[in-house]
Amino acid sequence: MLLYGVAALSVLPAALYDRPKWNKIAIPAAIVGLLFHFVSLAEMLNAAHHRLPVDTHETQALLGLILAGAFLLVYWRYRTVSLGVFVLPISFLLGLVPAFRPGQESTPFPQFHTGWIFLHIALLLAAYAALVLSLLASVLYLIQERTLKSKHAAPGASWLPPLETTDQIALKTLLFGLPCMTAGLLIGSLIAQQTIGPSYFLDPKVLLSFAMWLAYVGMIYIRRHSGLRGRRAIFLSAFVFLVVLAVWSANQFSVVHRFTTP
Amino acid sequence: MSRNSHLVLIGVNHTTAPIEVRERLAIPAGRLADATRTLVHQPGIREGLILSTCNRVELLTLQDDGATSQASLLRFLHEYFAVTPSSLTPHLYEYRESEAVRHLFRVASSLDSMVVGEPQILGQVKESYSIAREVGAVSSSLDSLIQRAFTVAKKVRSETQIGSSSVSIASVAVDLARKIFGNLQGKTVLLVGAGKMSELAARHLIQQGASHILVANRTQERAERIAAEFRGQVVPFHALYDQAARADIVITSTGAPQKLLNRTHGQHFMQSRRNRPMFFIDIAVPRDVDPQMNEVEGCFVYDIDDLQQVAATNLADRSREAVAAENIVATEVDKYQQRIQSRDAVPAILALQQNAETIREAELTRAVKRLNGLTPQQLEAVEALTRSLTAKLLHPQLAALREAARTRDPE
Repeated sequence: MLLYGVAALSVLPAALYDRPKWNKIAIPAAIVGLLFHFVSLAEMLNAAHHRLPVDTHETQALLGLILAGAFLLVYWRYRTVSLGVFVLPISFLLGLVPAFRPGQESTPFPQFHTGWIFLHIALLLAAYAALVLSLLASVLYLIQERTLKSKHAAPGASWLPPLETTDQIALKTLLFGLPCMTAGLLIGSLIAQQTIGPSYFLDPKVLLSFAMWLAYVGMIYIRRHSGLRGRRAIFLSAFVFLVVLAVWSANQFSVVHRFTTP
Repeated sequence: MSRNSHLVLIGVNHTTAPIEVRERLAIPAGRLADATRTLVHQPGIREGLILSTCNRVELLTLQDDGATSQASLLRFLHEYFAVTPSSLTPHLYEYRESEAVRHLFRVASSLDSMVVGEPQILGQVKESYSIAREVGAVSSSLDSLIQRAFTVAKKVRSETQIGSSSVSIASVAVDLARKIFGNLQGKTVLLVGAGKMSELAARHLIQQGASHILVANRTQERAERIAAEFRGQVVPFHALYDQAARADIVITSTGAPQKLLNRTHGQHFMQSRRNRPMFFIDIAVPRDVDPQMNEVEGCFVYDIDDLQQVAATNLADRSREAVAAENIVATEVDKYQQRIQSRDAVPAILALQQNAETIREAELTRAVKRLNGLTPQQLEAVEALTRSLTAKLLHPQLAALREAARTRDPE
C-alpha cells in the first residue's frame, strides 16, 4: 500500500506540474506495488483458507489490483499518467482497509467450480474497472475540452492528455470491458443454473446484472455509432456507472447472491 | 582565465545593434571557418570562436594581453567586415573574464535570445565550436569553457521549463492541434485562402506529421500553386462547405469581408464527422469564422487574437522560468571561476613541492652518510619520517596558495 501511496503522490508532480522525471518514481512504484499487492492478496486468501475473494474487503482488494493493472496498461499503451491522479489513490484506498482488517461480510459460494467462480468474479471486476477508467477518461476529456474552449490555458492544464487520446481510452476500455462482463455473467449464470436452478434468475440482483449488461452494450453502441463525446458521453457513462453501483449494492438485499455476516 | 591570459568577448546583438548593423557583420556559414582562422591569426589572440546568427555576432577570444590585443580584435572587426569604426563602436559590447563566462553561459542557455528559451541558439553555438575546432582555433582553455557552457545550457533546459511552451503564432497553433489530436500523423489540413502566416502554420503542422493538405482559394491558379507546394489537393471554392468536414484542421486567411463559416456550418461538419473534433485556425482579419462556432461541441475556433494571447501567456511563463535559469547560470559561473582560479595555483604548488623534495633528498643523503650502517628497514623508516615531515610542513603553505588563487590574492 505504501508503494501505491508513493506512486499516487509522485504521479501528481508528473501529471499536474509537467515534471516527467517523477514518472521514474511513479511507474516503478506502481509496478512493484502491483506485484506486492498480488502477493498480499494471495497470502490473505491463503491465510483465510479459501481460494476465492469471498468477503467484501478481499473483493475490494482484487478490484484495486485490477484498477492498478489497468492504469499500467493504459500508461504502456498511451504514455499518459494523468489517469493515475485518480486511479492510484483509488487503488491505494481499496487496498488499505483490507490490509488492516478482514471483511466482516462474505458471499457463500459452492465449494466446487472454484476456478470458474474466481473467473466470474475477476471478469466482472475487470469490467467494473474498465468502466471506472472509461468514466475517468471521459471526465478528463471534458476538462480538456472546456480548457481549450475557454482559450486561456488554465494553470497546470498541460497535464491533460490530448482529446483524441482520452477519447480512445474511454472507448477502448469499454470495448475491453464488454467481453469481460459478458463472459463473467455467462459463467455466473451457468454455475447458478447448476447449483440453484432457474429460480436464481428471478433474483433482483441477477435481474439488475442483466440490465447492467444491456446498459453497457447500449452505451458502447451509442458511443460508437453517434461518436458521442464530451458532456453527453459523461452523462451516459455516469448512468451506467450508477447501474453498476446499484448491482453492487444489490448484494445487500439479494437472496441468492449477497454478502452476509457469517 | 589564467594570470597571463585573458578571456574577452565582444560583439553586437539584437538589443545593441539594429538589423542594418547586424546584417553587415553577419558571417555566412560557408565563411565562418575562414573568419575564425583570420581571427586567431591576429596578434595576441591565442584561441577564438565566432558566433554568428541573425540576432548576434560575437567574438570569444583568449588573449595574451588585454590592452594590446583588444586593439587587434577591433581592427579585425573593422577590416574583416569593411565597416568604419565609428559606425560599429557604439553598438559593441565587451565582457571580460567572469562576465564573459556569464555571457557565454547565458547565450548558450538561450537567456540572451530575442525569444528567451528558443532552442536553436545552442545548436548554433555548437556549430561555431565545431568549426573553431576544425580550424584549430580552440584548445584546452576555451574548449573546457565551451564544454561547460553546453553542460549549463542542458542543465537549464532540464531543470527549468524555459523552453516548454510555444511563443510564436504558428507553434502555438501546432501545440493546440496536438492538445486536440495528440499525434498529428495522418491528419488532414485545409487551407482556406492564402497568406504567409497560414502557409507557415501549415508547414509547422506538416513537420509534425499532418499528411493531407487541401487548398481552397477563390483564385484557382493560386490554389493550384499552393497545393503543388505542399503536394496537396485543390478543393474548388464553391465546394468548400461540402469538403471542409474532411479536414481535421482548417486554417482560414481569406480577405472576405463577411464570415465564411458560421455555427450552422460547424453543426453540419460535426454531423458529417460523427462528432470527431475539428480545429479552426482563423488568421484572417476581418475574421472568416464566426466565433459562435466555438460553442458547437467538437469545434475549436481560435482567431489571431486568441493565438496571440496564448503566445503572450507562454512568454510570461518563460520569463518566470528565466529567473530560475539565471540563478543556475550564476551558480555555474561561480563554480567555473573557482575551478579556473584553483588551476592557476597549480604551477606554484608544483614548484614548492619540487623544491621541498630536492631539499629533503639532499638532507637525507647527507644524514644517511653520517649514520653509517643503517639496515634497509631503518633506512625506510628514516625516509618515511622525512617525507611525512615535509608534507606536514608544506601543508599550510599549499592550502594558503590554493585559497589565495581562489580569492585572487596577488601575494
